[in-house]
Amino acid sequence: MWNELLYAFDAVATLPNFLAMFAGIWAGVIIGAIPGMTGTMAVTLALPFTFYLPPVTSILLLVALYKGSTYGGSISAILIKTPGTASAACTVLDGYPLARAGKGGKALNMALISSCIGDFISNISLFFLAIPLAAFALRIGPPEFFMLMAFSLTIVASISGRSLVLGIISACLGLLLATVGEDIYGSYRFALSEDMKSGLGMVPVLIGLFALPELIKMVVFRPEENNAALKLGDNRLTLSEFRGSIKSICRGSLIGVVLGAIPGIGPSTAAFFSYSEARRTSKNGDKFGEGELEGVAASESANNGACGATMIPLMALGVPGDVITGVMLGAFMIHGLTPGPLLFQNNIGEVYALFIGILFSSVFLFIAGKVTANAFTKISRIPQTLLLPCILILCVYGIYSIGASPFDVTVLLVMGVVGFLMMLLNIPAAPFLIAFILGPMFEDNMRRSLAISRGDLGVFFQSWISWGFFVLTVLFVVLTIRREWKKWREKRDVANNATSAS
Amino acid sequence: MNQNRDFYAGLLATAFFAIVLFVLIPIYVKVPSFIPGFAPPPDMWPRVVAIIGLVMGILAVVLTFPKMREASRQQVTGLGSRIISHKTLIARFVAVLIVFAAFVFGMPMVGFVPATILMLGVLFVMTGNFDRKFWMIGLALVFPVLLYLLFTEVTHTPFPEGMLFSGRLSGSLSDLVTLI
Repeated sequence: MWNELLYAFDAVATLPNFLAMFAGIWAGVIIGAIPGMTGTMAVTLALPFTFYLPPVTSILLLVALYKGSTYGGSISAILIKTPGTASAACTVLDGYPLARAGKGGKALNMALISSCIGDFISNISLFFLAIPLAAFALRIGPPEFFMLMAFSLTIVASISGRSLVLGIISACLGLLLATVGEDIYGSYRFALSEDMKSGLGMVPVLIGLFALPELIKMVVFRPEENNAALKLGDNRLTLSEFRGSIKSICRGSLIGVVLGAIPGIGPSTAAFFSYSEARRTSKNGDKFGEGELEGVAASESANNGACGATMIPLMALGVPGDVITGVMLGAFMIHGLTPGPLLFQNNIGEVYALFIGILFSSVFLFIAGKVTANAFTKISRIPQTLLLPCILILCVYGIYSIGASPFDVTVLLVMGVVGFLMMLLNIPAAPFLIAFILGPMFEDNMRRSLAISRGDLGVFFQSWISWGFFVLTVLFVVLTIRREWKKWREKRDVANNATSAS
Repeated sequence: MNQNRDFYAGLLATAFFAIVLFVLIPIYVKVPSFIPGFAPPPDMWPRVVAIIGLVMGILAVVLTFPKMREASRQQVTGLGSRIISHKTLIARFVAVLIVFAAFVFGMPMVGFVPATILMLGVLFVMTGNFDRKFWMIGLALVFPVLLYLLFTEVTHTPFPEGMLFSGRLSGSLSDLVTLI
């Protein structure tokens, strides 16, 4: 083994490999930071170039693009409230309030450091745990997936802000919009027009809901501070701030690794799951959503933690976990490598070379992220009256370029108006976001499980994994009801005291 | 103020989910005559969500009443009087809607680039701040063109040329791209 490792190290430590990784990470960060341009787009666009490169260099380039774009999404999420990628949607919740408070630099640094740590832990797990994690991932079927989604959806209770009822209304709206289009059995739902048959795109909905309401608010209310630019404030992340988030970073990275290894989950779900866990367990949990560095750390460590882990089922089993790894599967095949158990027998040299190269990519991510984020922070000095309309136009171009569909642009603008109305009515947008992303997975797995079991609800309680998530869900619901009851009683006591005093 | 908002939010949610449950689902969610095995029908999940939403909407409205009793100052004001007191704001909001609608319906006619130039220009004017006129004019003209060049070069996106200018404007932009 050690001879093979040394050989692999020698094979990977070449200038073309380092250049490919560096270019890939850099391009990925920039592409991820542009709203509407996704990691999938970056990897797909780079695929033709890999035909002319050696196999290891090609795969390293694609992996670097994937990792870079996942981190890059956080830059626009923090600075302009526009998640560049769906996996950065959770970063908006705390990142943008931090930027508004003049702590954009801190938020970007925290995002970068937690992304790099998550990425590194993910790479290490790919190196040592590829086979056992892939075996565990295979035990997750639709019933376990359904229970996991049910538990993830309970986060709605903790991010509803002032009113749990309004939070649930927001989540219902998200769940309902997620049902638009064709379902798993080919039936159309709420297809009011031909375009709606393919459903509402995730990116137009998310960007519309988060980025546009700020612009509409500025045009309608014209507040005095509009003319002022966001203050960048203190850039440095202190040791105590980092120490305060280290638990969430480590937990987020592990969540990313485990969920990333399960085909079909991917970085977005991992980010939400990690965020909800950090909120539940942190002593600053109440401040999440108002600009808490730990929230940024939890979300970013998980989404980058999932990146390396998505390679686990691909390499160990030949099963692509998401669209990006699907494209990478194509790249493997083009170069004569067949992912799966045989890859570890027939091409062990290439496998070790890839593992070592992927480990190096964390360092490149840190360097490229630092330089690019510093360049992007200049955005925060642009006055809002100039910046916000330009962001809208950037979003319009980005969204149109995804599918060359004017309908997506219409969805973007309509969701902007819906988001503004929700803002006016104090309906929180975060539960909508989570429900819209997790809802389809929740429903599909519920229906699949019931179809498999011919309607027997016992299918949801046949494994210890399902039971584990079920107990956690029930526990959290009970705790939420208890908390709400306490709050209601406290309010009632205050009101009674005020009445008796008067 | 919060009582007003909660009341209107609850009212709006109740109306929306009621329409979904009683009008949209029966018309727009078709249940196939044959479903393989035991698969729940496609309307099951939207119905469950709409019912929960409806109940929560009603709950939001109901919960505002005890709060209103506590402080008579914070009672819900009528929608009509609220509209009259916020005429300018509502007019600006309607203007935003008109701009968005004009973009969606006008873009296929005038083309993507001219439509985005117009929308950006109008939005700059609507911000009501004219301290940086030259920046606004410059950005409105240059920024959409730069984005057009970026996206056509990098992602090869075919942006609509516009029925009114078909061939001419897009041709000149394509020439510019080729030149660069």
